[in-house]
Amino acid sequence: MSRLSRTVIEPVNPKLNVSRNANLPHSPGIRVGGYIFLSGMGPVDPATGGRNLGPIAEQIRQTLRNMGHMLESAGSSLGRIVKITIVLADIEDYDEMNRVWREFFPADPPARTTCALQLSNGNGVEIECIALAE
Amino acid sequence: MPLATAIRAGDFVFVSGVVAIDPASGERMHGTVAAETRQILTAIAAVLEATGSSLAKAVKVNVLIYSMLEYNNMNEVYREFFPEEPPARTVCGAGLSGGSKVEIECVALA
Repeated sequence: MSRLSRTVIEPVNPKLNVSRNANLPHSPGIRVGGYIFLSGMGPVDPATGGRNLGPIAEQIRQTLRNMGHMLESAGSSLGRIVKITIVLADIEDYDEMNRVWREFFPADPPARTTCALQLSNGNGVEIECIALAE
Repeated sequence: MPLATAIRAGDFVFVSGVVAIDPASGERMHGTVAAETRQILTAIAAVLEATGSSLAKAVKVNVLIYSMLEYNNMNEVYREFFPEEPPARTVCGAGLSGGSKVEIECVALA
């Protein structure tokens, strides 16, 4: 049996606490030992808590900014992501995703998988990650 | 099947994608999304408990369902199994093997 503790991670900005605000049965993230596991995140507007379903590039930027906020809320950051999974609603957005991706990870990017699947709430993108906690 | 149901590695247990199996026949159980979700999470709980872990120690869960239109039907059963501090989770709609409507994998603290 592991002696590591398991703690729930929540965003400082309550508008980005999607699972609490929508009463969904998941936590925003879980920290165990030196790792943080984040739930799949979508393009939520941090000012309103509503969905930002604009152009895909902006959806991806918004989602990655939100992911950065979530990680920073727990003392980590985008730069400490180890593995990221990007799920697009339409694989035709792959090249556009890569353009935005480079803005956020210009050097030493994390390991990554990208695929297209059905997403909830009309999201064009959903992103999850595993990051180093500190 | 050429895979392990679960692997313990250090502090973690990695559980393979689980589909609904009828425990009496060992065959796939084809039911509603709610019924399959219940069967799967019951099976995952048993797998985790056999390794000394439990659903309460689940860290990250991935749920695949055949149609995102069934998202709420899955959630209503799912929440019964994780009443407090639920794990991180991602849910997507995907094509699943063998006519299953739901498949769930997880990483848990050992």
